[in-house]
Amino acid sequence: MARLAAEDPLVRDEAILDDDDDDVDTDEEESESEDDSGEEFHAEPSKKAVYNKEGILEKLEDIAWPENVDWRHKLTIEHDQGEKIDVNDDLARELAFYTQALDGTRQAFEKLQSMKVRFLRPADYYAEMVKTDAHMHKIKGRLLSEKKKIEEAEERKKAREAKKRAKEVQAQKEKERAKQKKEQIESVKKWRKQRQQGGFAKGNDDGPDLNFEGDEGFKQSKKKRPGVSPGDRSGGLAKKGKQGKNRKSRDSKFGHGGRKGLKKQNTAETTNDFRGFNQMDKSQNKRRKMDGPRVRFAFFYAP
Amino acid sequence: MAKKRKRSSDAAAAVEKPDEFAPQRPERTLFGFKEKPADDEEAEAEPASEGEEDAAAAAAAAPFRNKEKVLVTCSRRINYRYRHLMQNVVSLLPHAKKDSKVESKQSKGNALNELLELRSCSSCLFFECRKQKDLYLWMVKSPGGPSVKFLVNAVHTMEELKLTGNHLKGSRPLITFSTNFDEQPHWQLVKEMLTQIFATPKDHRKAKPFHDHVFVFSIVDDHVWFRNYQISVPHNEIDKVDKGGLDKMTLVEVGPRFCLNPIKIFGGSFGGPTLYENPFYVSPNQIRALEKRKKAGKYAKKVKAKVRRKMHEMENTLEPDEFAELWKGED
Repeated sequence: MARLAAEDPLVRDEAILDDDDDDVDTDEEESESEDDSGEEFHAEPSKKAVYNKEGILEKLEDIAWPENVDWRHKLTIEHDQGEKIDVNDDLARELAFYTQALDGTRQAFEKLQSMKVRFLRPADYYAEMVKTDAHMHKIKGRLLSEKKKIEEAEERKKAREAKKRAKEVQAQKEKERAKQKKEQIESVKKWRKQRQQGGFAKGNDDGPDLNFEGDEGFKQSKKKRPGVSPGDRSGGLAKKGKQGKNRKSRDSKFGHGGRKGLKKQNTAETTNDFRGFNQMDKSQNKRRKMDGPRVRFAFFYAP
Repeated sequence: MAKKRKRSSDAAAAVEKPDEFAPQRPERTLFGFKEKPADDEEAEAEPASEGEEDAAAAAAAAPFRNKEKVLVTCSRRINYRYRHLMQNVVSLLPHAKKDSKVESKQSKGNALNELLELRSCSSCLFFECRKQKDLYLWMVKSPGGPSVKFLVNAVHTMEELKLTGNHLKGSRPLITFSTNFDEQPHWQLVKEMLTQIFATPKDHRKAKPFHDHVFVFSIVDDHVWFRNYQISVPHNEIDKVDKGGLDKMTLVEVGPRFCLNPIKIFGGSFGGPTLYENPFYVSPNQIRALEKRKKAGKYAKKVKAKVRRKMHEMENTLEPDEFAELWKGED
């Protein structure tokens, strides 16, 4: 079978070429043997392919332009690619095409320059282009958006790094602050000791009474605050505001603050206390209620 | 006052400018353009001053004139992508003529030959789309010339936003070929045809007199690859590049891109004796069929494996287990 001769140096792209014309009819029986062996396909030139070199050269002669035709009719340049290019390596392939184009253009431009012909487009020559302005605008938009995307990504990266560094800086600062504090306390302690050793009695020293001994200095004092209810968080300020006479009397009667439950219940005293009731008001209210709207708004209904 | 004078001088310059680089057209006669005794064309042909009268002498001595016209058309039911490719090719060739789609039948050769004669075209690019996915390109020289059939791969149209270049419509392209075109006769033939079809004729009425793009034809892996680049080079004058400008020259790709895989070369136009057959060519149908068969083989393999296992089991049966009865009495 032709396929087994795998000595062909040209190992081809399997997607493009992996079988031959004459394999078509033999493929059926081949597939049986193929099943177990996962062999790669190697391209084989089919043996019966036609190649009539004389005929081709004859045709070429027929259609070819005269030998001595001016180069300016053709504008063709040959370029040697050098070593073989790997087709599947996109970058290498495109680079090869680019260098071919660049090299060819350089040669052609040199030729044109030496011919002293006008071949470069002047800056003020406007004419129809292959791609429309709208399309070029689209391309520009895409380029810009791509650029923006890259910039944004970079910025994000920078911000992330800055954040990381800021954390470190913050930690450093805190450490320093704690150290400073410690030092200050230490220095004050030292100062006091020196004073004590210097012969000043504790009672009549004129220095500030700095109570930095241990942790007590920083704790809240647990002293009872006079005249302030224990739940009061305003620090007794609420009581100190000016209060009217009325307010005071009401407070004395109904109480102020604290639990409501006991205060609202009647006691023997309060049941007999009629200070808050006005007899006149009461009778008026009663009549108004009993009259109903017709009496109350009689003037509306008057003829 | 001074302003006015300045403007008038500007206008004068503007009037003068176009003449400066507009290519001078030879005088038109009944039989075409009268050949001017140009100094650059003297080298290849005698001045045709007296040849105008004597037709026979003129035919022998007439300088070469490229009158290529390319008919570009496609088959019915072509894919939109391939249609765009065709339109791009048309926009690159100012000497191309478009025609309506042709039914892709067995007899399309005759129809196309007739069409070529009707449109008086000397060559043809026929984009034949099959099964909505395979594109074949026929490159044909018209009356007697050879025709080459290619399979087109790796198509990228000009509309793609990745291709950022742009150039004048109708400016004549520079054409670069890789040197391996000259190694084998069939590549030589393909090169000649590509040159004739893709080179815009000099002094074509739709052509623009500047060169701002370059075509690349390169043979890699026995395929012809096509690229089209815009040339951007720093220059102030129109007949000279700035000093060192050639080194600063950059190219921007304009598109389209495609890759041609030659299948066959025929002696006639759209037919005739086969002169060349690509021995490595596999039709995309075969490739697809092969892939399908591979996939189908998966199930067959499974079934086969099952059968084989069964056979194996039947052949060497297990001995009856001596402990099989051990727990039977418990329940």
